[in-house]
Amino acid sequence: MGEFYWKRHPDGPFATLIRIATTYLHPEADDLESLQRLAKRENDKEMHAFKAELREAIKDPDRLPDGELSKHVRYEDGSPEAFLRRLWRDLYGDEPVDMREHA
Amino acid sequence: MAAVDQGAGHGHIRHEGWVTEEANMRRAAYLEDPAQLDVAKQVHGIDGLQPNDKRHICADLATRITDPDAFATAFARGAEHPEVRAALSTPYDQDRRPDPIQVPIADLLGKDGHELCTGWQLEPVAGSMDAAIKNRHAWRTALAEERQPEVPEPTARPVPTFEGGAIIFVMGHNKARDGYEIVTMYPQPRDDDFPAS
Repeated sequence: MGEFYWKRHPDGPFATLIRIATTYLHPEADDLESLQRLAKRENDKEMHAFKAELREAIKDPDRLPDGELSKHVRYEDGSPEAFLRRLWRDLYGDEPVDMREHA
Repeated sequence: MAAVDQGAGHGHIRHEGWVTEEANMRRAAYLEDPAQLDVAKQVHGIDGLQPNDKRHICADLATRITDPDAFATAFARGAEHPEVRAALSTPYDQDRRPDPIQVPIADLLGKDGHELCTGWQLEPVAGSMDAAIKNRHAWRTALAEERQPEVPEPTARPVPTFEGGAIIFVMGHNKARDGYEIVTMYPQPRDDDFPAS
């Protein structure tokens, strides 16, 4: 894997998504519960950015940097698409992916 | 090591030399947790450190530092690394965790320190690690439910070298839930795309 993606590309596409997913969901961390609580914070800038990137990644997974999400998170879902959709459900329940947040 | 054991972490339980090569291989291939001391639960993939018979999970790699002195040295030196100290000093938030930190093995254990690291990697399936991890989960679940798996038995291959690799420090909440500590530490090879066996 080399250096973490967000270290190599701090302003790279989906850097926040990959960083937070790794920190909470890599098997050595395995802390979905904390991420679920964070996702409920309405005034958290970092989680707003995370949610926006998650939404965009679900809509267009081909834009994800090649293999980085898989290498960092090591999910069991079989594909980045399946992982991202499952993560959205785990964090935001039945909220539609297409629903835009108001600033 | 006694000081490390006072914390909430599991690095010394899963990533140190008391874990045998065989146990590490079986962790990567079969999700058998070396921290699970109940043999029956271990072969059923039950996590040895989580409550409620939670199933054990693992990345594609299961790695360790083979020597206890080296493990303790890496931990102590890593705990003083500026990036690790900065992470541990993060103002506490009960729902937040600092990001993991990578420190070159050579910085902690010297230029030959990589020789004290070993590991096993799940073999890809049809060239895909995503598929291999999913299959491993399906295979493990089938056995736990005492039915015949519908996927091939997973296999693991030894990591050829840790030269150029890093030690990963994962931060989490301390037992008192009022600060952060290193909850695990493990070696990672520089490259995780090995030649097909």
